Amino acid sequence: MPRVLGLVSERRAAAGWAVTLAVALAAPLVMGSYQLSIATSVLTFAMLGLGLNIVVGYAGLLDLGYAAFFAIGAYTSSLLSLEAGLGFWQTLPFAVVATAIGGCIIGYPTLRLRSDYLAIVTLGFGEIVRIIATNLTITGGPNGLYGIPAPGIAGVSITSIPGLYYLGLAFTVAALLLSWVLSRSWLGYAWRSLREDETAAEAVGVPTVRVKLLAYVMGAIVGGVAGPFFAARFGAVDPTSFTFLVSVQILLVVIVGGMGSLPGVLLGALVIIALPEALRAVADFRLLIFALALIALMVFRPQGLWPAPRPRGAPRGRPVPAAPLEAAAPATRGQPAAGEDLLTVAGVSRRFGGVRAVDDVSFTVRTGEIVSIIGPNGAGKTTLFNCITGVTKPDAGRVVLHGGRHGRRVLHRRAPHRVVAAGLARTFQGIRLFDGLSAADNVLVGRYCRRRRDGWRTSRGLTGGLVGVSGATHAEVRRWLGFVGLGDRGDSLARELSYGERRRLEIARALASEPFAVLLDEPAAGTNPTEKNELMGLIRQVRDSGVSVVLIEHDMDLVMSVSDRVIVMDQGQMIAEGTPEQVRGNQRVIDAYLGGEEETAAETVEEVLGWRS
Amino acid sequence: MSQFLQYLVNGLTIGAFLSLTALGYTMIYGIIRLINFAHGDIFMVGAFAGYTVLVAAAAAHVPVALIVMAALVAGMLFTGLLGVVVERVAYQPLLSAPRLAILISALGASLALEESARLIFGAGFSSYPHLLPTAGFGVAGVRLTYAQVGMFVMAVLLMVGLYLFVHRTMLGTAMRALAMDRDAARLMGINVERIILLTFFLGSVLAGAAGVMQGLYYTQINFIMGFLIGLRAFTAAVLGGIGNIPGAMVAGLLIGLLQSFAAAYVSARWTDALVFCVLILVLVVKPTGLFGERIVERV
Amino acid sequence: MAPLSRSSALAGLTAAVLLAAGCGGGTGGGEGGEPIKIGVPVPLSGDYASAGEDILRGARLAAQDINQRGGVLGRKIQIAQADDACGAQVGAQAAQRLVSSGIAAAAGGYCSTAALPELNTFHRSKIPFVMDASTNPQLTEMGFAEAFRTIGRDDQQGPIAASFIVNDLKAGRAAVLHDNTTYAKGLADAAAKALQQEGAQVVYNDALTPGQADYTPVLTKISGAKPDVLYFTGYFAEAGLLIKQAKQLGADFQMVGGDATNDPTLIKTAGPAAEGFMLSTAPLAQFLPAAQDYVKSYQQAHGAQPGPYSVYEYDAVSVVAEAIEKAGSAEPEKITQALAGIKGFQGLTGTITFDENGDRSDPVYIIARVEDGKFAGYKDLKDGQWVDFG
Repeated sequence: MPRVLGLVSERRAAAGWAVTLAVALAAPLVMGSYQLSIATSVLTFAMLGLGLNIVVGYAGLLDLGYAAFFAIGAYTSSLLSLEAGLGFWQTLPFAVVATAIGGCIIGYPTLRLRSDYLAIVTLGFGEIVRIIATNLTITGGPNGLYGIPAPGIAGVSITSIPGLYYLGLAFTVAALLLSWVLSRSWLGYAWRSLREDETAAEAVGVPTVRVKLLAYVMGAIVGGVAGPFFAARFGAVDPTSFTFLVSVQILLVVIVGGMGSLPGVLLGALVIIALPEALRAVADFRLLIFALALIALMVFRPQGLWPAPRPRGAPRGRPVPAAPLEAAAPATRGQPAAGEDLLTVAGVSRRFGGVRAVDDVSFTVRTGEIVSIIGPNGAGKTTLFNCITGVTKPDAGRVVLHGGRHGRRVLHRRAPHRVVAAGLARTFQGIRLFDGLSAADNVLVGRYCRRRRDGWRTSRGLTGGLVGVSGATHAEVRRWLGFVGLGDRGDSLARELSYGERRRLEIARALASEPFAVLLDEPAAGTNPTEKNELMGLIRQVRDSGVSVVLIEHDMDLVMSVSDRVIVMDQGQMIAEGTPEQVRGNQRVIDAYLGGEEETAAETVEEVLGWRS
Repeated sequence: MSQFLQYLVNGLTIGAFLSLTALGYTMIYGIIRLINFAHGDIFMVGAFAGYTVLVAAAAAHVPVALIVMAALVAGMLFTGLLGVVVERVAYQPLLSAPRLAILISALGASLALEESARLIFGAGFSSYPHLLPTAGFGVAGVRLTYAQVGMFVMAVLLMVGLYLFVHRTMLGTAMRALAMDRDAARLMGINVERIILLTFFLGSVLAGAAGVMQGLYYTQINFIMGFLIGLRAFTAAVLGGIGNIPGAMVAGLLIGLLQSFAAAYVSARWTDALVFCVLILVLVVKPTGLFGERIVERV
Repeated sequence: MAPLSRSSALAGLTAAVLLAAGCGGGTGGGEGGEPIKIGVPVPLSGDYASAGEDILRGARLAAQDINQRGGVLGRKIQIAQADDACGAQVGAQAAQRLVSSGIAAAAGGYCSTAALPELNTFHRSKIPFVMDASTNPQLTEMGFAEAFRTIGRDDQQGPIAASFIVNDLKAGRAAVLHDNTTYAKGLADAAAKALQQEGAQVVYNDALTPGQADYTPVLTKISGAKPDVLYFTGYFAEAGLLIKQAKQLGADFQMVGGDATNDPTLIKTAGPAAEGFMLSTAPLAQFLPAAQDYVKSYQQAHGAQPGPYSVYEYDAVSVVAEAIEKAGSAEPEKITQALAGIKGFQGLTGTITFDENGDRSDPVYIIARVEDGKFAGYKDLKDGQWVDFG
């Protein structure tokens, strides 16, 4: 059923686009030149909105200086056609390259910044570009540049109002197609994961730095095409067309329409550009009315006029029932044989201020093992995980993963996404799923670092080929959802799942990267006894499929029943290591849990540690 | 040397106005993580409120000092209340909505305030009566006017008063608690809505004071005067580490100095580009601003 | 049908909004007894809305006077306004809207930034455009037959100001300051060049950032260059602050402004410090003998003195009416031809003759001075000599 519904809504959408395009194509037949010139402005802002939508809507990065790209595109093209005598179409590639460079320049300093600071940095960038354009002689100073030739097609230059309208329409359709392709590409999924949770995205294998930069670059490129169009349309550019207020207008197009939504952006452009024109009847009050309408819209409909549709599960096809894992044998490539060293942690330390959160910890995990790390709260277990997975840089020590193509991989001081690529995946203590994405898309993002392995072939012909997420990937996603018993929940948003389901989805997301080992941070926290039993079964299944497991856990029942070995930490140090039985009898462990030299009655130990003999 | 000192004095005067306005940005950001784009326009409304009082009082024969005080108090009270109204209408319903929604609402509020002022007072400039003494004196080759010194002292007093309020009173402590963790503050029995309103009130009062002082000192006001100073004050707030009150004060003065020395040793036409370059460079080196605390993200 | 509803809604809405936006935009030039429309694109919103309003009043008064005399070709003149907000894109749209509403000619404009795309639009539709306030030389040098103006050009004003500064004020060192707008930079460049030709040393030539309140840093810098005169070519708002703050700093140079400082706001802002401030300007209506009736009727209608450009707009509309009369037709292209042939038309601002570019061949500039809180004529250039005005 969901599949049929999906197709119907796809057909509906396609029909809707066809009707809109037909109306847009027919518009010059009924509209006068004034309306057409407004329509061309609407198209210009629709293009700009589509570009900004990539940055704001897809990747969730705030940009208050988008007019800068518009300006760079316009000036580059104008200068080349005036000084070098290039034609409009010849200048386009240069304009695109120039704005892409601009995108890198603004993207680079913002990579380390929190989202709020992005606002002012991007705003500042926009102002800097405008001020440079105003002050330089080559850009014509405040006069700007004049006499820019009109674009020509087959030797005929396009100067008529309907001609410019159709050119704008063609560019807008191109921007729409680019946006559509990007939204369904691997990059699109990576952007969405970035928007939902940057740290988690990085930790499941998305190279967030590169992906962020690409968001700025892709967004800039669209602006880089709108700029030359704008310049050629008016035959002139000057700095007053690229003020902060223009950036704000473009942002309004995206937000009012609905972030991430393509029809939303078009509607937004229509409302932001054409509505004030339509309100000219109420001349003096029109901006006030517009301002109040803006507040009202945000208060009553903060998601915008036409929000992006609720994401559907990526894999289409029959749900896979919860299956045992006979077929699934991931990560067999180059993995050390069972019982050989897989992960070596040697002398890892990490301090926060005066606190030694992790102090000289060393241990080894062998292929096919389930190793648990236990210890009281604050013992440094999660920090240790963070040091191993690259989320936190250790002050000292080495982390080495054996096997793989290169024989061994040094992991410490590597970015988290490279740790995942090397073959070490993880989950988080306080579940970090991409809540706004479907369960299936969560798993799909987990597969990011293996996308090339799945190839580009799809069952969906040419469009699928453009899009780049292959049929093999969708099959993998279905397989992992089925493996954790979520085969029928792929279409549900992650936030709609039950607590236990969310835990299992996070494990599926980690497994989708085909790791040698997974690091699970308190997977049983908050689960009820039934869920816990299922979880124990799942952990064993994971191990049986060939993936080693490292577990942080407080639940001693679980630890004692599944672990091959147990490592005990206290105050950053490793105080014991051994089989569950060995650890259970260790005096230092008992002291750690009871807090020092207190007398140790066997019952108390049992009570506190939950161990039953 | 005396020229250098003159630039220093000029910069500090400009900076004092920026600091006063930057405080509102930083306080409001600290408490609800909102870049309040309407804040510069609150400053503008303060200038017009003071103007209205002065024009009305011009007919009556009242001592100048009294009129000035009345205009200042009226401007502060009116903007304080306006800040509260704006928060109630445009921001409060959006406190739990997506972050961008409230930002757009703030842009809407900004435009609404500007347009209202334009409709009431016209698109042209309005002029404050020349009430402040124009006389000045020279120290070490530096020209100062009494009005200039008065304005600076007034700004510093207001800032010190705010600092003491935030750090020495129960309400101020509640504000700081709220800035750190809204939910925890609520659990401790703090009336979150009231403290948010109080923050808007105080931030707007300072902006209103700055607006009236600007009118008195520079005498020329119009409905978009809040835009540029708002932009620079916002920059100051971020430069100082947004959410950090002393940081905003210091950074406001720094940007004032930067403007002055940019005009002196580079060119006035590059002022804003330089201000933003410095800001971006500072943020690249220290992503949380000059005085911002390091935020450790929990994983 | 249902499946299409949302997308058809979008398509329908697109059409509806665009149609609504263009309502009143019917085409057709109008025949017989229908009024002849003259388009007036001016800023009616934004920073310069007050200037735009003033110009619009001038246009309306002109139409009123013409219509009282029986109109032209037996038809009434009707003014069609459009807000260009001083912006390029809005300006182009405003012009397009006027074209669509069937105007015979356009007369207006304020900011050169907006006037340029407007002129482009009118040129494409072959509609003549008589500009009343845009002084940028570029406008009439693009070879458009449709471009005319009743005001002088920046490169005509610059040399006159320079001549006054050097020959009358006897300044050896001059500073030039502008605000980086198209107009102000054009005038500053022309003035700086002329100052050097006249033999003065230009010790400072730079721009400030408009919209600030405090210009003491720039003024301190200029003081350091020790000029005798500071020629500021920006707008009145900044000029008022500059005058006041220069006084506060104890600066000892004479300030002279360009024609955009010609606004009473300057005097209100600068207060007593404004006394003695001089400016090069096309004469205000108040100074023009022929315009005294105009000043009276403007005051009666609006309770205020006319602003600097409304009288030039009055002449722009009048000269268009004259051209229609001479052409015997309200066809835009014929009006353009007739305008090009205008010689010795007696306007309120003096005799109007258009040269081959469409510029006035002998624009009038005077030096005005603030005296007793008012602008008053101060010096006039007669036969190469600066003489007292009047």
